[in-house]
Amino acid sequence: MAERLSWVPNEVDTGLPSAARIYDYLLGGGHNFAADRALAEKFLRAQPNARTIARLNRAFLRRAVLHLVDVGVRQFLDLGSGIPTVGNVHEIAQKAEPESRVVYVDYEDVAVAHSRMILEDDDRTTILQEDLTDPDAVLAGVRATGLIDFSEPVGLLTVGVLHFVPPEQDPGGVVAAYRDVVVPGSYLALSQFTSDLQPDQMAAVVAVMRGSANPMYPRTRAEITAMFDGFDLVEPGVVPLPLWRPEDGAVDEDAGRAGIFAGVGRKK
Amino acid sequence: MRAVYPTAYVPMSPVEIELYLLELVDLIADAVQAEPFAPCPVAVVGHRLVEAHFTGPETLQRTVEVLGHALLFNPELQDVPELAEKVVGILGAVSTGFATAMRLDAFDQQEQVKRALMTAKVRAEQVLKASEARFREVFDSSAFGIALTDLRGQCIDANAALADMIGCDRTALIGRRMIELFDPADVDALVATYRAVGEGGVERVREQRRLLREDGEPVWVHLAVSLLRESGGKPAYHVTMVEDVSELHLLRKNLDFQLLHDALTGLSNRQHFVTRLETLHGTSRGGITLYYLDLDAFSVVNNGLGHAVGDQLLTEVGRRLKAVVADETASVARMAGDEFAIVVDNSPTTPSVPAMIERINEALERPMDNGVALSASVGVVDRPAAGWDVAELLRAANATLRRAKAAGKRQWQTYDRHADQRLREQQARAARMPGALADGEIEVEYQPVVDLDSRRVLGHVARLRWEELGHDECLELAEATGLSLALGQWALREAAAEAVGSSASDPSESDPTESDPTESDPTESDPTESDPTESDPTESDGFGVLHFELSPMQSRDEDLVGTVKRTLDETGLPVSRLRIFLDTRSMLEGPGEDNAQFLRDNGIVTGLARFNGGQAELSLLADLPVDSLILDPSVVRRLAERPAAFLHDAVARTVRLIRSSGVSVLVAGVSSADCAAWWTQVEVDAAFGDHLAPAVPGYELSR
Repeated sequence: MAERLSWVPNEVDTGLPSAARIYDYLLGGGHNFAADRALAEKFLRAQPNARTIARLNRAFLRRAVLHLVDVGVRQFLDLGSGIPTVGNVHEIAQKAEPESRVVYVDYEDVAVAHSRMILEDDDRTTILQEDLTDPDAVLAGVRATGLIDFSEPVGLLTVGVLHFVPPEQDPGGVVAAYRDVVVPGSYLALSQFTSDLQPDQMAAVVAVMRGSANPMYPRTRAEITAMFDGFDLVEPGVVPLPLWRPEDGAVDEDAGRAGIFAGVGRKK
Repeated sequence: MRAVYPTAYVPMSPVEIELYLLELVDLIADAVQAEPFAPCPVAVVGHRLVEAHFTGPETLQRTVEVLGHALLFNPELQDVPELAEKVVGILGAVSTGFATAMRLDAFDQQEQVKRALMTAKVRAEQVLKASEARFREVFDSSAFGIALTDLRGQCIDANAALADMIGCDRTALIGRRMIELFDPADVDALVATYRAVGEGGVERVREQRRLLREDGEPVWVHLAVSLLRESGGKPAYHVTMVEDVSELHLLRKNLDFQLLHDALTGLSNRQHFVTRLETLHGTSRGGITLYYLDLDAFSVVNNGLGHAVGDQLLTEVGRRLKAVVADETASVARMAGDEFAIVVDNSPTTPSVPAMIERINEALERPMDNGVALSASVGVVDRPAAGWDVAELLRAANATLRRAKAAGKRQWQTYDRHADQRLREQQARAARMPGALADGEIEVEYQPVVDLDSRRVLGHVARLRWEELGHDECLELAEATGLSLALGQWALREAAAEAVGSSASDPSESDPTESDPTESDPTESDPTESDPTESDPTESDGFGVLHFELSPMQSRDEDLVGTVKRTLDETGLPVSRLRIFLDTRSMLEGPGEDNAQFLRDNGIVTGLARFNGGQAELSLLADLPVDSLILDPSVVRRLAERPAAFLHDAVARTVRLIRSSGVSVLVAGVSSADCAAWWTQVEVDAAFGDHLAPAVPGYELSR
């Protein structure tokens, strides 16, 4: 009887596509199910460049994390971390600086379960099952982990996630809430879908996702830039994914088809 | 590198990727040139590609294309024998390795997904299990009755507590419509409640309702209804929680009962009855009737048979009285020890008051278990006006009961406003009387005693006056309050002193030796004063002899002679100027009859007052040493009210008879000329009354 009740936690519903698993599929991962793949295929039809966008976004994450390690950040709060895949934040950061500490936050059951599994033996990394749009709950959980020292700079990561936060939940306000608890010199790395690039494809994607559990909300470059309120954007500012500090030897990518704007800011 | 790079995300910098791939290319180049040729070592290339996450859908195809072209057309390898065959072998090995690695990777990932899923599921299940266990624990062990119903109101699950409340098996509840479990009177309200909660307008509703037990008994419950939603937020179930408050209810009712009911009989107590009376009186259409009962001689039962028996009787009386009015809208209460009250809201079929009294008496007269039969006196207030308040109703009923009781046992009376008014006034006065006496509000007045023929004043009779109350009323009141003795002694002294004082100031004081009115000579009267209308006996005759009527209590007073003698001594009134009249009825009752003899023995002339000529009274004249009597005013009044007939003749003959025996006869209350004339003709010895001369205060005598 009780399994029909709303007060029990949601069970893992493999029949309901999840954004985290679609992303995993687009990245070539296997942590996904038929329903995820079906929706991902629709996504691909609406935006044939989706795999590339996923790869570019993942690559931006890597570059951003490495940049933050480079400027001295040793602790990361990855909000909406998703299903662990290749090149996770803690792997990138700890490879560059073994003392780096990472707290992942996601609310999706499989993402959390998988993260727990791979983080079992890592005492510098952990995962919290919380909704990033509830900063109070998240921050309380983060403090409880003891991994983040809020008197030191923190690398806040909201990579490829805020386009799932609807306007009425005020993503800018959510970001500001995290900003307000970290010391100046902390960083924010942010990327999210935009309708400024390939508006037709973006509109198609929004249509595909509208009926799903994770409808999407692309934003303009100005809106995305505004989320960096209180931060100084590092060069080159808010730009299409491949244009954010490309590495030497990188293959030229078509920035016009990157779908996502990205940027990194330093708290004033 | 450029060919493979975009096919999948590899978390390396371009430089790292280049180096990684070059290493693999070297491996292949070595294999191509190796002798003897063996493609096996390149299988690892496929593995390494997958390991680095070169796992895009196009990765292998691009790899084969690039490798095939490079190997075949690389100038450094042009010397390798059987190059084409070797390249095919190598590409095959790379592909096989890649495919194998991919398959293993997929297995790994699937395994991970499975584990992750399992973990997530186990976790969810653990949480679920814990949550469900908690819920089950609460559900099963709760003292609250809990039911889960679908939105159509059908019970999906219910706990044992609810089943207990309803008095059926738990499983019998499943599938039943929830509202069927409630009192039909509550159903409409409940339907509305469930709808309101179901529509989400209200989060939760709390109400007090009646569950219906299987045996039809209602069970009062506090009810809480709330809505459960599915994970999607869609309303799914109602949870109904009921708290059995019937015990509380009973306890509360019990407390109320104890507060409002008589512990012995279980009837309403006075407070509760007052409330019931008020309600019925206020809402009655046919009017109410209030019966106030007092068991006759119940103290005899109590003293004789013991209190335990008395209590049993009271309980039985309560039961029987309730049975008497069982068909009526009525309430029965025990008001005090052996006092009961019944209020009946009259309907067209309600028995009349006499019929109801008859039923009450019948009920009480039936012998109880121990053989005792009871009776009651009843005061009835029938259909009082709506304006009466409850306290007044009860007082009136009680006062009426007192009047009924005064008439004897097994009596009843209905409320009589005038009687009640008199009684109330009298009681109020009685209460004030001692104070009035002390404050000098009660006075002694003096009424001339006149010889009817000559109108000569023979003396004065002392009369009490208190405000508008005359002598008889004062005496009656004093008797009722027990003040009579003290009042009588005081009045005697006052009168004696007045007789002495008035006479002292009066030069024409009558001869002290002329003490017996029977010896008075009508010829002694002044002819000028023969006209009754102009007579002024006090002036011509002075005070004369003091005639003093004793109250009943005084008449029986053992110290009467001593009191009279002291009074004579202290005031200086000669014994010859005093006539004491004993109360006739008191003499009949016995205890004071010696007083007549003692007075006589002490030389005090003694008579009987309020003599009405009955047979017993006549015989007193023979037994007691009295030489005069005063006829009762009632006799005088009765004769005055009727035309001359048999009664007049009888009285006249009796008076003559009495006089002939040597007892003089005085007449009180002569209030008209006709009356005076008639008694003159009957030849009584003396008379007094307002027609002859009014009573006046002492100071008017001593002008």
